[in-house]
Amino acid sequence: MKERRMKRIKEKEIRQKAIQRIFFIFVGFIAFISSNLQAQRTTSLKLNEILVINHDNFQDNYGEKNPWIEIYNTSPGNVDIAGCFLTNTMDVPKKYKVPKGDALTKIKPRQHVLFWADNRPSRGTFHLNFTLDSIQSNFIALFDSDGRTLIDSVTIPAGQHPDISYGLIEDGWTQRQLNEELRQNPSFKEKRGDQLWVSFEKVTPSSNNIVLDTNEKIDNFKLNDSLGLGMTITAMGVVFVALIILYLLFKLVGYIAVSMSHKRAMKVSGMTKEEAIGITTLSGDLLAAIAMAIYEATELHDEENTILTIKNTARNYSPWSSKIYTLRETPNKK
Amino acid sequence: MDFLSFLGDNLETFWTYTGIANVTIGHIIMIVVGLAFIYLAIAKEFEPMLLVPIGFGILIGNIPFKDAGLQLGIYEEGSVLNILYQGVTSGWYPPLIFLGIGAMTDFSALISNPKLMLIGAAAQFGIFGAYIMALFMGFEPNQAGAIGIIGGADGPTAIFLSSKLAPNLMGAIAISAYSYMALVPVIQPPIMRLLTSKKDRVIRMKPPRIVSQTEKILFPIFGLLLTCFLVPSGLPLLGLLFFGNLLKESGVTRRLAETARGPLIDTITILLGMTVGASTQATQFLTLNSIKIFGLGAFSFIIATAAGVLFVKFFNLFLKKDNKINPLIGNAGVSAVPDSARISQIIGLEYDSTNYLLMHAMGPNVAGVIGSAVAAGVLLGFLG
Repeated sequence: MKERRMKRIKEKEIRQKAIQRIFFIFVGFIAFISSNLQAQRTTSLKLNEILVINHDNFQDNYGEKNPWIEIYNTSPGNVDIAGCFLTNTMDVPKKYKVPKGDALTKIKPRQHVLFWADNRPSRGTFHLNFTLDSIQSNFIALFDSDGRTLIDSVTIPAGQHPDISYGLIEDGWTQRQLNEELRQNPSFKEKRGDQLWVSFEKVTPSSNNIVLDTNEKIDNFKLNDSLGLGMTITAMGVVFVALIILYLLFKLVGYIAVSMSHKRAMKVSGMTKEEAIGITTLSGDLLAAIAMAIYEATELHDEENTILTIKNTARNYSPWSSKIYTLRETPNKK
Repeated sequence: MDFLSFLGDNLETFWTYTGIANVTIGHIIMIVVGLAFIYLAIAKEFEPMLLVPIGFGILIGNIPFKDAGLQLGIYEEGSVLNILYQGVTSGWYPPLIFLGIGAMTDFSALISNPKLMLIGAAAQFGIFGAYIMALFMGFEPNQAGAIGIIGGADGPTAIFLSSKLAPNLMGAIAISAYSYMALVPVIQPPIMRLLTSKKDRVIRMKPPRIVSQTEKILFPIFGLLLTCFLVPSGLPLLGLLFFGNLLKESGVTRRLAETARGPLIDTITILLGMTVGASTQATQFLTLNSIKIFGLGAFSFIIATAAGVLFVKFFNLFLKKDNKINPLIGNAGVSAVPDSARISQIIGLEYDSTNYLLMHAMGPNVAGVIGSAVAAGVLLGFLG
């Protein structure tokens, strides 16, 4: 007796330890994921477009035309750039810290923010403490709030022209995305080139580098599937495939469930196979009763407008008088 | 004298602000449409839960007023109606409706006879029939996709897709979808009779088997994984539909399921119906395109119903004699839950007063919901 009790206590201890271990692993996993998510937020920022020589272009709130640096949030969520560092030299990564406490540092999903490289930080959050060299090449880097993690950097070649910006070929693109596009769309190189950073004559501060006035997908459909047959065949194919897979899966699940319930019934109640089959089928009486009740419930008004009906009911609500329940629920046979 | 002229000026200004001074024939037409909706809902009981909010919303949206920056209209940034309308324009009302639908839907009929899913797929031909027709009538592919979804007979799906593909047509599409859903008892029976023989109509189907709770729990999980891995763009609708169903079937989240299928869906239905109705401001709504959309909506419902019925007849060619499906449940594949299933039952009883088809028809009916959400996902993926 005592031995059995000791054994049970021991088993309980082992179980508790196992639960504790699982809990710690789970907490560790969540912490790991969370830290990655936090990091992912700022790493989704990209240097997007830079204007080195601003002669007759966008002007700041003070009415001055200075070089600017545009940063783009590639993520589908808000990203706060506050606390990050911008610099024009790798030796001093913490050159300009984006101040905290300014609501405007929160960049909306797939939106931009503009910093003025005017060496006038006293003018506000978005005015840097350095400027860009109009003759030499310029290095620009964005560091995370620890001042060590490089988020993005670019070297703008020397010899920039006035009012022509230097930016990513598409907002927030990486070299990998460009390579993928070049691989999938051979005409891209011919139309737009194969360089990630390009010069833009149409300068687009705080907006998309390429302004699209057409939707390529829709144009393709208009060109290649003007009758809509391609779409019909493809889409119906997908709908059928989705539901056929679901059908096959539930055919299998149903088969397993039915045979398991037969086996269970045969084992527990000592039924024969034929008797066991009977318990998984709704009886005809039951089905008729349900359907009759539904039919009566939905058809009352047509026949009974002139008939006085006295209903004696003990309660106001019953599943049998509810449209939802009577139409959808399969009652359990108890 | 000065006081009188001051009073006169004020009254004159006040007059310019009144609805009477700003009314146009368009407003009158739309108010009549709104009243007709309310009449159909109350007197004829055609989808009253939808038509009452929409009908009254039409009245709200078509009260004429002077455009003086008073932030009154639904299209004026920051107005109360505009804020409520954001649930439609940004597409988050429809998935919440789907959450409630999931929490009130019993997929047992479908699980017990999974081949009925294919009827739900076949009925989606209505969407693409209307898509082809809309292209033919000169609509852009994205607009045609949004119009076609009316054939899915699923209001939230139609609103969700049109808000993404053709926001400017959303009012007309939503009104059209809900109108035809309300008119299911009028549209479907003649098509069903036309396409079936007397012999077809009296086919007796095998009674459904009892479905275990494990199967009911597995359905939303597998349903989500399979459909959304294939069509991720259907995630907002399918995700919440299956989530709501798991809340119901798990048996351990009764309170959440009750909220989803009760107060939550009711609240969203009120807001959705009212704002969609109010979005039909005469100036935005009374266009030739709206008339075309109404025509295409009727066409899509007819095609969807016919496709469902004909598919069952075709499917029966491959089924054993004791396992045949009554083609009268084919119409239920268009969704319009549960009205189209009820039509199957009523027509079935006309020809055999002891042949109850309702439980069988609920299978393709709920499969139609899944099918139209998948189709919407495909359209969004291709044209979005």
